[in-house]
Amino acid sequence: MLNLIVPLVAGILLGYFLRDKKRVNLGGVTFWAIMILIFSLGFSIGSSNELLGSMPKVGLNAIVISLLAIFFSVVFVKATRKVVKME
Amino acid sequence: MIKYIIAILAFGIVAGYLNNSFGNIFASVFVSNYMFNFSLILLLFVMGFMFGADKEASAKLRKAGLKILVIPFSVALGSVLGGMVGGLILGVNVFASMAVSAGYGWYTLAGPLVGQLFGVEFGALGFTVNFLRELLTITTISLTVRIDKHAPVAFGGATTMDTTLPIIVRYCGPEALITAFSSGFTLSLIAPFTITAIAALR
Repeated sequence: MLNLIVPLVAGILLGYFLRDKKRVNLGGVTFWAIMILIFSLGFSIGSSNELLGSMPKVGLNAIVISLLAIFFSVVFVKATRKVVKME
Repeated sequence: MIKYIIAILAFGIVAGYLNNSFGNIFASVFVSNYMFNFSLILLLFVMGFMFGADKEASAKLRKAGLKILVIPFSVALGSVLGGMVGGLILGVNVFASMAVSAGYGWYTLAGPLVGQLFGVEFGALGFTVNFLRELLTITTISLTVRIDKHAPVAFGGATTMDTTLPIIVRYCGPEALITAFSSGFTLSLIAPFTITAIAALR
């Protein structure tokens, strides 16, 4: 987890100290980095025999449980945000 | 953007599958470890930078304060409840289906851990349920962001600290960075504990 927190915090600090400097547009960099990230995610999914072999065996059950877990997560987040008055 | 994401995801899956069937020509470790980690670290740095430089984003976060922590716990409760309802509807072992959904999208954890605690067939379920969660978070983001600005974070569960974070920030704006990261981080921390705790309940 440190390998994620260090670059994140370093970026935040650097951005904070340079916030009044001239802006550079980082949209292009993030676009390509996201493409590489999602490609490598897909690649590891595609090369995982364990994952690909699991899917047809549990198919429908997995879809139902997954959708219900997501559905209730969204409902609970919406509800608690109302309760604590979070924007 | 979403068209490109889905296309590159599908392309990656096919490439990984073909590479694996033809004897691992491009060392898959290179792609799934080095390329993945390199792009993720770069993205975290760049998105951190954009957040730090954005005055409005940090002001919004300061206003929300510690309230952002209600999100991961709501996601945890919602997921486990979803697992329970699913188990009851489908007539499978309710504790197993609760444990499976307590992976919060982290399939490399939930698959093996649930498999060890409940048996191989539930390990396969743990893998697939959580993998689908990650897949749905990525592929439906352009629609889910319209339900609620925090809906993609709720969808993503534990994956919002790494794989789905860059896309969430891209769609929900820089102010979503800390909310999403802290939610994914908290859920990743509690996932192993909730899975084992549910297994102990049976």
